Amino acid sequence: MAASTSNALNWFLHRITGTFLIFMLITHFWVQHYDHQAASVTHEVVTEQGAMPDYPEEAKEGVRARFGPDAEATPYQVVMQRLADPVYAVLWKGFNILFLIVALHHGFYGLNNVMTDYIRDPMGRLIARSLSWTVALGLLIIGMYSVITAGW
Amino acid sequence: MAVDTQERPAPTASQEGATAEQDSRFQRYRIRTGMFAWMMHRLTGVGLVVYLIIHIWGLTALTDPETFNALIAKYHSPIFKVGEFALLVAVAYHAMNGLRIVLIDFLGWSPNQKKLFWTLGAVTAVIILVGGWPSIYSLGEWILGPGSMPTLFL
Ligand code: HEM
Ligand code: HEM
Repeated sequence: MAASTSNALNWFLHRITGTFLIFMLITHFWVQHYDHQAASVTHEVVTEQGAMPDYPEEAKEGVRARFGPDAEATPYQVVMQRLADPVYAVLWKGFNILFLIVALHHGFYGLNNVMTDYIRDPMGRLIARSLSWTVALGLLIIGMYSVITAGW
Repeated sequence: MAVDTQERPAPTASQEGATAEQDSRFQRYRIRTGMFAWMMHRLTGVGLVVYLIIHIWGLTALTDPETFNALIAKYHSPIFKVGEFALLVAVAYHAMNGLRIVLIDFLGWSPNQKKLFWTLGAVTAVIILVGGWPSIYSLGEWILGPGSMPTLFL
């Protein structure tokens, strides 16, 4: 049956995507939380309505270097250091899209495994499967759109 | 476990009852720790899918500077700092247990490898402490006042 070959392939792919995700999540975590110039999230708690986090000196310098001496280090500008560059951004956008595809495939394939374990009725399984992959496809399109158009 | 169960033989009449079916599903996992590890893997996996959906949805803010600033400012609220730490715990656990499963599947290591289990457990603890330090630090600074937390490697 075609379904069983594709299941074996998907089972294999799930292990591969999982392994890939380790490296991609390390990169993502580093870039969003640790790197003093590029991290979008700072080591600060902000409680006031409308207040912005204060970025480290490295981030302020980076933003000024790219967007001019008056540019302010807002969260958007900090992220745009990577995503608005004409050349370098291709790498980051490419990385983000690859990350998006791999995470969605791994996550939704896994979700389908879980659902198949609890939904006994074949019709119910079919509905759950179609619905979840539709959501995944929608997220893929939305995600690609946001990351490609960001800063361009 | 995660292999599609479509081709599973139809349940016999004696297993039809809800309790009997529950029993048979769980009795397959003889190692208690292993079963717990699997349940947590499933729980964190589904949790991460939920986060991923919210995350991608939220990132549509990338198309507008004001909206994106508001989103990232929200990421700095105290509840999110706690959530961020919880997210890291889920990711670290799921990643290391997933790595354990992949090593067992591909290298043919025995699932009984206690050493592998506890080594990866230690690695997970280190990832949570080092990776979670930014969240712990910011919450500490906020609760105990500026300068009260050691910066360490930040
Ligand atoms: C960080 C690296 C990751 C690795 C190494 C990894 C590895 C794995 C492996 C090997 C499985 C199969 C478990 C089995 O067959 O019993 C699995 C299941 C799963 N993973 Fe991941 N994964 C990772 C990240 C993620 C992420 C980011 C998500 C969510 C978006 C996710 C969601 C799931 C789900 C929902 C399952 C199904 C759970 C089940 O069948 O019980 N994983 N993962
Ligand atoms: C608190 C932790 C996190 C923060 C602050 C964060 C922040 C961000 C930001 C700002 C972006 C925009 C793109 C960029 O800056 O390059 C992004 C993209 C992305 N993140 Fe995260 N992230 C976090 C955790 C995660 C986790 C745990 C996952 C996986 C389940 C994930 C998956 C993704 C994906 C797939 C993209 C690309 C989205 C797209 O292409 O539209 N993130 N993240």
